[in-house]
Amino acid sequence: MKTTFIVSDSFDPYLNLALEEYLISTVDDDTVILYLWQNQNTVVIGKNQNCWSECKVHELESEGGYLARRLSGGGAVFHDLGNLNFTFIADKKHYDVDRQLAVILKAVQSLGIPAVKSGRNDITVDDRKFSGNAFFTKGGKSCHHGTILVQADMEKLGHYLTVSEAKLKSKGIKSVKARVANLTNYMPELTIAMMKTKLIKAFGEEYGSLPKRIFKKEIDPKQVESLYAKYASDSWKYGKLMDCTLEISGQYLWGGITLKFEAKNGIVEEVLAFSDAMDAEFITELPSKLRGIEFSAESLSETLKNLYDDGNISHGNDENNENGEKRRILKDIQELIRREGF
Amino acid sequence: MNTIPKDLKYTKSHEWIRFIDETTVEIGITDFAQHALGDIVFVNLPQEGDSVAIMDVLADVESVKAVSDIYSPVAGTVIEINAELLDAPELLNKEPYEAWIVRIKDVEEIEETLDSEVYEKLTAEEA
Repeated sequence: MKTTFIVSDSFDPYLNLALEEYLISTVDDDTVILYLWQNQNTVVIGKNQNCWSECKVHELESEGGYLARRLSGGGAVFHDLGNLNFTFIADKKHYDVDRQLAVILKAVQSLGIPAVKSGRNDITVDDRKFSGNAFFTKGGKSCHHGTILVQADMEKLGHYLTVSEAKLKSKGIKSVKARVANLTNYMPELTIAMMKTKLIKAFGEEYGSLPKRIFKKEIDPKQVESLYAKYASDSWKYGKLMDCTLEISGQYLWGGITLKFEAKNGIVEEVLAFSDAMDAEFITELPSKLRGIEFSAESLSETLKNLYDDGNISHGNDENNENGEKRRILKDIQELIRREGF
Repeated sequence: MNTIPKDLKYTKSHEWIRFIDETTVEIGITDFAQHALGDIVFVNLPQEGDSVAIMDVLADVESVKAVSDIYSPVAGTVIEINAELLDAPELLNKEPYEAWIVRIKDVEEIEETLDSEVYEKLTAEEA
């Protein structure tokens, strides 16, 4: 068995995930690869997660962050440059999760940090998780990847992954919150560069061979490019819209409103509206106008906008008359949906 | 371990095939497969009407251990998906030979399959 390693020089999550999949598709039957990579400001979600219920997508993206979907299962994690990712890639016959976890444990322990394996897939120190791990197989090859929190921004880490009151319910895999810690809490002088060196050293020790570096020129840029296009595409990132329900509420001068949406295959199937607005008839009619529309904040918002731009309602400009109030209601609901962003 | 049904055909990658008629099949995963995967928590199914070739990824399952692809042992057209699995993926663990994943019609080509005795030997070796 041979061991090789490669360290990505990009912080682009789509490129890093593309390189990972490329390595899986090209690894030979007798090699174990250790791949180290970092993503800048990225929320990485599991293969079968609904991004809208796991992450504040609009906030993340409007602040320059990235949303990325990986091939393995499990929950959402936040990556910044204080976090180091590792991937073990091997043919099934050489794939051994315990051995791979031993590499991580050895590397961290060699720094004098008392890390232990805990639960099924976590590595902890003082009962705090600093490494989450996930797994998948593809075409007879197996992949084990995970994170190592060295000095991540804990505030951001929690922030993007806290979705407002979990109003969106879907069948996707739910993330599980864990108490986490940076390794620099235990060793303030630790850097990402040091961690990388220790990992490559521990990898060689565990497998009893000196890992050989994979050079850039050995990689086919065309294949990586086409994989990049997949990872960066909206359809992969946001996923096919899963069946889900969404409940949103707002309080306004005209009253309070709660809307419950049920979506199937990305289409609004049912809408329930509850409101104490004076114009009860108008609220009762609203659901029929929203059924059958694509379940996205954008298309719902567009539909509402068309309704108040509609001649019947915008007739007369007096905001105090009946139509003025209808427009007000529609505008407020539109704003509510747009803000929710799904 | 459950006994391996004699009336089904098997693949080396642990799918089973049930012939409904000469050109229509049901596909599922074996008891050995579900056992190796562990508790299944999510299933991604194809769309009805999708055409599939041999060794295409037909579906994928997420278990507590990993995400794994399920390959099509036949070439044909997906006529029905078992939507029940979307709400209850654990059926693949509980009743692996009842919980079919897809039905495929117009089967033109089929991967080399194993009968139950050969498959049983194979799993005994892998276990």
